[in-house]
Amino acid sequence: MEVYSPEGLRADGRRWNEVRNFKCHINTHQNSSDGSSYVEMGNTKVVCLVSGPMESPSSGRKPNSSSNLTVSISMPSFVSNSRKKFKKNDKRIQELCIFLVKTFEQIVIMKNYPRTIISISIVVLSQDGGLLPSCVNAITLALIDAGISMYDYVSSINVGLYDTTPLLDLNHLEENDLSFLTLGVVGKSEKISLLLLEDKLSLDNLEKLLAIGIVGCHRIRDIMDQEIRRHGNLRLSKITNK
Amino acid sequence: MSAIETAVSGNPKKRLSSGLTVTQKVFVRSRNGGATKVVREHYLRNDIPCLSKSCKRCPNIVKANAQGEFPNFVLETDPLFLKNGKIGKHYLILDTNIILSAIDLIESNLSFYDVIIPQTALEEVRNKSFPIYLRVRALCKNEEKRFIVFHNEFKEETFLNRNKDESINDYNDRLIREVAKFYAKHLSDVGINVVLLTNDRNNLSKALNENIITKTLSDYVELLPNADELRDLVPSEFSNDFSRPNEVSYPEYFSTSRINGGIKNGTLYQGSITISSYNFLEGSVSVPSLPKPLLVIGRENLNRAFNGDLCVVELLPRDKWRKPSSTIVDDEVINKNDVADNEDNEIIISDQERRLLTQEAIEAQNSKEIQPTGRVVGIIKRSWRLYVGQIAPNSINQSHTGNAPKSCFVILMDRTLPKIRIRTRRAKELQGKRIVIGVDSWPSTSKYPEGHFVRTLGEIESAEAETEALLLEHDVEYSPFSKNVLDCLPKEGHDWKVPVDLQADEFIKKRKDLRDKLVCSIDPPGCVDIDDALHAVKLPNGNYEVGVHIADVTNFVKSGTALDHEGANRGTSVYLVDKRIDMLPMLLGTDLCSLKPYVDRFAFSVLWELDENADIVNVNFTKSIIKSREAFSYEQAQLRIDNPSQKDDLTEGMRVLLKLSKILKQKRLDAGALNLASPEVKVYMDSETADPGEVEIKKLLDTNSLVEEFMLLANISVARKIYDAFPQTAMLRRHAPPPATNFETLNNMLTIRKKMYVSLESSKALADSLDRCVDPEDPYFNTLLRIMVTRCMMAAEYFSSGSYSYPEFRHYGLAVDIYTHFTSPIRRYCDVVAHRQLAAAIGYETLDPSHRDKNKMELIVRNINKRHRNAQFAGRASIEYYVGQVMRNNESKQEGYIIKIFSNGIVVLVPKFGVESLIKLDQLSNDANTSEFDENNYSLKFKDTNGKMRTVHIFDKCEVEVKSKLDEATGKRRAQLILV
Ligand SMILES: [Zn+2]
Repeated sequence: MEVYSPEGLRADGRRWNEVRNFKCHINTHQNSSDGSSYVEMGNTKVVCLVSGPMESPSSGRKPNSSSNLTVSISMPSFVSNSRKKFKKNDKRIQELCIFLVKTFEQIVIMKNYPRTIISISIVVLSQDGGLLPSCVNAITLALIDAGISMYDYVSSINVGLYDTTPLLDLNHLEENDLSFLTLGVVGKSEKISLLLLEDKLSLDNLEKLLAIGIVGCHRIRDIMDQEIRRHGNLRLSKITNK
Repeated sequence: MSAIETAVSGNPKKRLSSGLTVTQKVFVRSRNGGATKVVREHYLRNDIPCLSKSCKRCPNIVKANAQGEFPNFVLETDPLFLKNGKIGKHYLILDTNIILSAIDLIESNLSFYDVIIPQTALEEVRNKSFPIYLRVRALCKNEEKRFIVFHNEFKEETFLNRNKDESINDYNDRLIREVAKFYAKHLSDVGINVVLLTNDRNNLSKALNENIITKTLSDYVELLPNADELRDLVPSEFSNDFSRPNEVSYPEYFSTSRINGGIKNGTLYQGSITISSYNFLEGSVSVPSLPKPLLVIGRENLNRAFNGDLCVVELLPRDKWRKPSSTIVDDEVINKNDVADNEDNEIIISDQERRLLTQEAIEAQNSKEIQPTGRVVGIIKRSWRLYVGQIAPNSINQSHTGNAPKSCFVILMDRTLPKIRIRTRRAKELQGKRIVIGVDSWPSTSKYPEGHFVRTLGEIESAEAETEALLLEHDVEYSPFSKNVLDCLPKEGHDWKVPVDLQADEFIKKRKDLRDKLVCSIDPPGCVDIDDALHAVKLPNGNYEVGVHIADVTNFVKSGTALDHEGANRGTSVYLVDKRIDMLPMLLGTDLCSLKPYVDRFAFSVLWELDENADIVNVNFTKSIIKSREAFSYEQAQLRIDNPSQKDDLTEGMRVLLKLSKILKQKRLDAGALNLASPEVKVYMDSETADPGEVEIKKLLDTNSLVEEFMLLANISVARKIYDAFPQTAMLRRHAPPPATNFETLNNMLTIRKKMYVSLESSKALADSLDRCVDPEDPYFNTLLRIMVTRCMMAAEYFSSGSYSYPEFRHYGLAVDIYTHFTSPIRRYCDVVAHRQLAAAIGYETLDPSHRDKNKMELIVRNINKRHRNAQFAGRASIEYYVGQVMRNNESKQEGYIIKIFSNGIVVLVPKFGVESLIKLDQLSNDANTSEFDENNYSLKFKDTNGKMRTVHIFDKCEVEVKSKLDEATGKRRAQLILV
């Protein structure tokens, strides 16, 4: 299949600047966590559960330890295309966890939570490209649901480059074919809190990728914002009805 | 992708807020035997236009791409009108099989305009044949042909879900019919019909039931006004009355899964097949796991493989292994008996045994006796292209009259290929003409492949037809440059001048003004595309400043433009005896880039400071402006240097260059550079009549090597610089050392006949041993040997630096560690890339991503290597043709050398004309049975035509009568030699 046809269509029928079907919900698992969310970016689907803030078990010994945010990702074997490769993926998942911790340590107001732990766990239900962005978006929502204080939203998306055309929100097939970067943006600003490039990309193209990536992140932020407000109103009405 | 995917069903649609609709496509991916279900999103949209200029609605729905460009509406408002068949004004819709099999016809400019290619069909074509897909895409860019791709599967109105239990072919046919229905309805108010072309009976009847105007290809062609011209172009499998006698039956090819399995477990091999040019029933396949190519002998074992096909071969059992034949076999000698050595039908050997067989094969190849042989069991990729040939005279039934198509054979110019059977109504008319044909198929029940007529080039032996034939045969792109390409040239045309204001922009500011340097160019006489110019001057410190200035082509050929794509595709200019096929348009090559004398030109300069020993003290690269003082021919330059009364600075500079070049040359030879020979000749054309006059062996003057040495030095300096800047993707050129096996036979012959040998430890050893191989009684012997050694060498190749490790960069022939081509950007694309990389390395401009990407560089390199090779072959073939024409008028006796001996003939090289030709035993002797072939001593004993016994050996000097003879079968004129 043509990755990007001369007529300007991608293999799944989208144009260069179109985001996949994005769906999100918060407070999906209210009984088993302090905050939870569900995010769908196309066929990539993740659930995020947040526990905390809670007392750190090791706080007695290391009173000033600052890294109190932990992220774990689990991926059931039916998710990955090649079922046997799970062991290899393990390292990759560790890597993703580190990126996520680094990103959210900057955005959660950590000084409000000394000597406590916030533990985030993600379950990947299905995988079709853009795993890291989905995790970022899901964590943002779940943290908000848990009422943890943050400076702003972080929304994330990936952008690839086909020849000279940037392509927004790559699926799995496109990720395999193109070099791409993943970026996370703070709120409606142009502040970038996450930028990951695991391939080569020429410097001249970086600017246009960032530009379209930021637009994409803002679009996702708006959808997440709508969901938060919808849910907020729902809760509010429940309280007032009582 | 090794996985095979099949869409099995579609899911319910879901409308999104963005106006798109998303549905899911489910695929079953089978890989390594297992099956996985894969779900992919599929977005449906309503902004896909019909692209008809008549349409009033679609211009309102289109969206721009990332560059802000809107789609072009290309389908004419007034397309072809056909009265017959109630078709009227119409566009065409093609189905997959029509595209795959009739692409030559579709491309022809005799018909097929305003064509809609459904996405469904394009996708299928892409999966089945990538080259044809590229040709369709090229058609869509061609403004004259007006082809469009209609993305029916992304358009909400024309997308269909796959039904349960519907086969993928039926589903695709249904999707394509839906396109026809959409267009018919969409354009009904502007009076344009659509005609669906399909040859699938099932699809045809379904379409007719659904009221779609549908035709088979041949029915449609019959309706066209120029049907007579087109009829023969319809590929053979569609002419439904094609009846073929069951002459033979070749073994069926293995199934794909059996082939994949076999390659994986090591019982089958994959490789591209080379058919011997002396024996068209013997091929060889290079296999990585075997030290030498695997032999494939006989029609049955070759099993329909064409020279160059990517095939899958299987080892034959041990008792079928053979020596490579020492017999010459060509088509004329072949009779039915050749098919008679029918190998057993199916050989059953277990995989275990096969692996043991491989081991034995390796051992056998290392010993000298019998060689393992194999048979072709599958073809992965056909090398089929258009071929040039002529109708075999005896294949036409002369008594036949009437207009019904008749099948006849076409003999191709390439002797390694079989005859092709075509059907034509014009066989008689085409007799004696060079014709172009395409190959369609080779069924296992047909002795010969089937093809179709494409067009005629003209009378055999007319200069135009022969030139065009050899360009086609060597896949040289010779059509005039398209409008898109010419649009990239400077608007001022020939009036373009170097700007007066040298501060005008940031680029010109970076140029060095070198117009005060006494630069001149030295080239062959009559050279118009002057790539290079030089200057030299003695510095106050006793050293020399030497400058090589190269035409600044990349100032005009910017990356990514149509001009750049065309140059990249052509890869090189092609020089024929009477014609030059340019890589870049004339305006650039012979004027704006050419470093003509007396005018300002942009150049890319390499400036060295060299000391007395021609060692580099330092080197500088800069974009510059120069003004050449004079354009010399080699001879003029030589005269000027030799004339002691010339004391001007320009001549002094040239003397410095000459002096330094001699030192450079000596240093190179000391390092082990090879001085090889090829029997190069030049044909002089009579300027009045353009008839070839005489043939002369190329003469070399000191000034030839003056230019050459500095070009080598520039190339080496640039290679180091760009490798330093772009270690992964620098455009370089390497020459691998020849494997010792290439020299086995030659050394054997030398030892036995001359008590000499050539050493192979290093290029230095080879060069020295070549110097020692002198036969005091035969001064030409050393040159002869150099010619033969040249043929044992590997070909030099372009590569990007990431694909080899540094020690492998070595250029064996030049004895340098790193090398590139920088000095001829007007006529070689490698040099264009090297220029861009060097410009980026010195910070002049940024480098285009395509020259920084390993994969893209790999594509460029592969193409220019191929083009370079083809250009060389085409040049040689052109010389061969003209030498034949010269000899036609001058029959003479000449000295020749025997360079190959077979049991039934010898090959003789005539140095005067640079021709070699086979003399078969039956031409040497009236009584072939008395001949004795002594394989170990490379000699052949026979009773000559006067009845005397005569023995000839390899390397023997002999006198031959040289004639030129028109080969009846191929229409090629070649040298005929008769041993005197
Ligand atoms: Zn329309």
